[in-house]
Amino acid sequence: MNQKMKETILNPILKGNPITVLVLGICSSLAVTVEMKGALVMALSVTLVTGLSSLICSLLRKTIPNRVRIIIQLVVVALMVILVDQLLKSFEGTYPIDKQLSVYIGLIITNCIVMGRIEAFALGNKPIPSLLDGLANGVGYGLILIIVAFFRELLGSGTLFGIPVLAKLGYVNNGLMILPPMALILIGCIIWVQRSIQKDLQEK
Amino acid sequence: MEYISLFVKSIFVDNMIFAYFLGMCSYLAVSKNVKTANGLGIAVIAVLLITLPVNYLLNKFVLQPGALSWLGPKFAEVDLSFLSFIIFIAVIAAIVQVVEMVVEKFLPSLYSSLGIFLPLIAVNCAILGASLFMQQREFANFGESVVYALGSGIGWYLAIVALAAIREKLAYSNVPAGLKGIGITFITVGLMGIAFMAFMGISI
Amino acid sequence: MNTNSNTYTVIYTTLVCVLVAAILAFVSQLLKPKQEANEKAETISQILTAAGFDEKAHWQEIGNAATIDFYKENLAEAYTVSAQGAQVKSLDKAKADIYSVSDLKVQNRAIKAGKDYEIPVYTFTNGVTVIPVYGAGLWGPVWGYLSFDASLDNIEGAYFDHESETPGLGGKIKDDPAFRAQFKGKNVNYADAKAFEIVKGGAPADKRNAIDAITGATMTSKGLDEAINNWLGAFKAYLQGRIQAKAAEAEAAAAAAAEAEAAETETQTAE
Repeated sequence: MNQKMKETILNPILKGNPITVLVLGICSSLAVTVEMKGALVMALSVTLVTGLSSLICSLLRKTIPNRVRIIIQLVVVALMVILVDQLLKSFEGTYPIDKQLSVYIGLIITNCIVMGRIEAFALGNKPIPSLLDGLANGVGYGLILIIVAFFRELLGSGTLFGIPVLAKLGYVNNGLMILPPMALILIGCIIWVQRSIQKDLQEK
Repeated sequence: MEYISLFVKSIFVDNMIFAYFLGMCSYLAVSKNVKTANGLGIAVIAVLLITLPVNYLLNKFVLQPGALSWLGPKFAEVDLSFLSFIIFIAVIAAIVQVVEMVVEKFLPSLYSSLGIFLPLIAVNCAILGASLFMQQREFANFGESVVYALGSGIGWYLAIVALAAIREKLAYSNVPAGLKGIGITFITVGLMGIAFMAFMGISI
Repeated sequence: MNTNSNTYTVIYTTLVCVLVAAILAFVSQLLKPKQEANEKAETISQILTAAGFDEKAHWQEIGNAATIDFYKENLAEAYTVSAQGAQVKSLDKAKADIYSVSDLKVQNRAIKAGKDYEIPVYTFTNGVTVIPVYGAGLWGPVWGYLSFDASLDNIEGAYFDHESETPGLGGKIKDDPAFRAQFKGKNVNYADAKAFEIVKGGAPADKRNAIDAITGATMTSKGLDEAINNWLGAFKAYLQGRIQAKAAEAEAAAAAAAEAEAAETETQTAE
């Protein structure tokens, strides 16, 4: 693996994190971080969708007319997400998984990360780097999601993955943690920590 | 009277930003100063005012189960609701693109002041969210969809201008280096969100 | 090739849109029977969970076919009722006919518009009666099933589902067993302003027709409250009618018993 590839993969996770640096995909990171399980499911699906839609749009990049590119990109993303949803719904074995996922379908399609990475990267790069960039951005997004969900579930409900952790210690659940504004404040704190370490990201 | 209560409700009680946390990405990214916030806010109102009634008509006459019965009794059984997601998104993207072209042609000064923020509206979840709310709440008539579009647009506009005003003042505050810029903005929005909860549950 | 020319743009967009619509329509037609079968088994498992036969996880474990068989074995009768509380038609037991979620949606529209409706009731051999409820949550529809014991007064159990409520908040109407467990032992009181109530900030302990709302999920709780009350209103004539019929039956039985006793005393005196 050469240097450029390495950068494509590592950059979105640390220096160019979609949530804390690019400010993309905020809506969904507020909605799905109440519990760890939901955050994990969402992180995995967004990673997959961003990777694949970046790949497809990169393959199509030379044919897409500039003036209608927004429509084409969104239609490709929506088509893929809906197809996967329909397939999962059709088999007895995968139906329960789909019941879990169907809540997120809308959030995945309108997630700005998917569209943002297509616009910013996939339209100007070859398929393989586009796929890697999409996947890496999904991972960077998922990382923040899981950190936020960890604190919200632990302090808000006293559990982790639904297993009681703090109840034995006599902790009283903080109801504010499960409301969306606290997710914003937590992300603010993550940004603070990140920029205190990586000083070159600080704004003037 | 019903229209007035729906209008007030969609501005304050059902505020897109503070009650549903929709359209967060561009809200956070494009609120550095009041002037651009003003432009984006107006653009969002305009796009909502066009897309929501169009999607209302599409939903009523094409997508709903039995909506095609105006074509003849044979079509009464057709249910196209599985297409609603993709059609709403395509309509929004198309209208954003058309609005962009019209503004570019006839109002070049406004176009240059809005710049990249115009195409960004296509991925603003507040727009898609409004269409999905319209479909789910089963608005009784065309007028309601127009009033709702105007109300939620104005709600979004007020929210972004308020945040931009705060951020202009924040520039002179002594914020810790790591929190400067986007970090403190997240926390500010979180606090604004908590304050806005005062409106929650009010029925008009 | 000039990808920015008008002709190319129009042809390209049309092609993509037609292709996507065709793929979606084809897939949706192709997979519809399978999806409907899965949805049907899911609905039946929800009805059975509400009726208190077993937990939801059990039905998932034993699979679709076994769940439907269990339903057929234990169902006494399934039929639809009208606004006047009269039975309209019976649902075929052998085919395990039920009202799907989209059927409920259609009826919900009729109920809200004040038109005639036809809503399903499922009665089981152990005396439990299950009725559906349907309404709008925060992001999408919420629905579920309430079951009554033989007296038709006490709630035996409940199960709720939703399309897209926030996981961990509104999603708890389905995922949190403690929320559902609150329903057991409550009853419906048509004399109150609300026949059943989901109270924000804790229900008073002495109120027999109220439960606690979910913290942080105001809109979902409110939507579910509305769904339950709308549908309890729709079932009012039927439920009240059956309770009255039962009371009349009991009275008649008591009267018959008293008569028989009186006749017996009479014969004794004659002797």
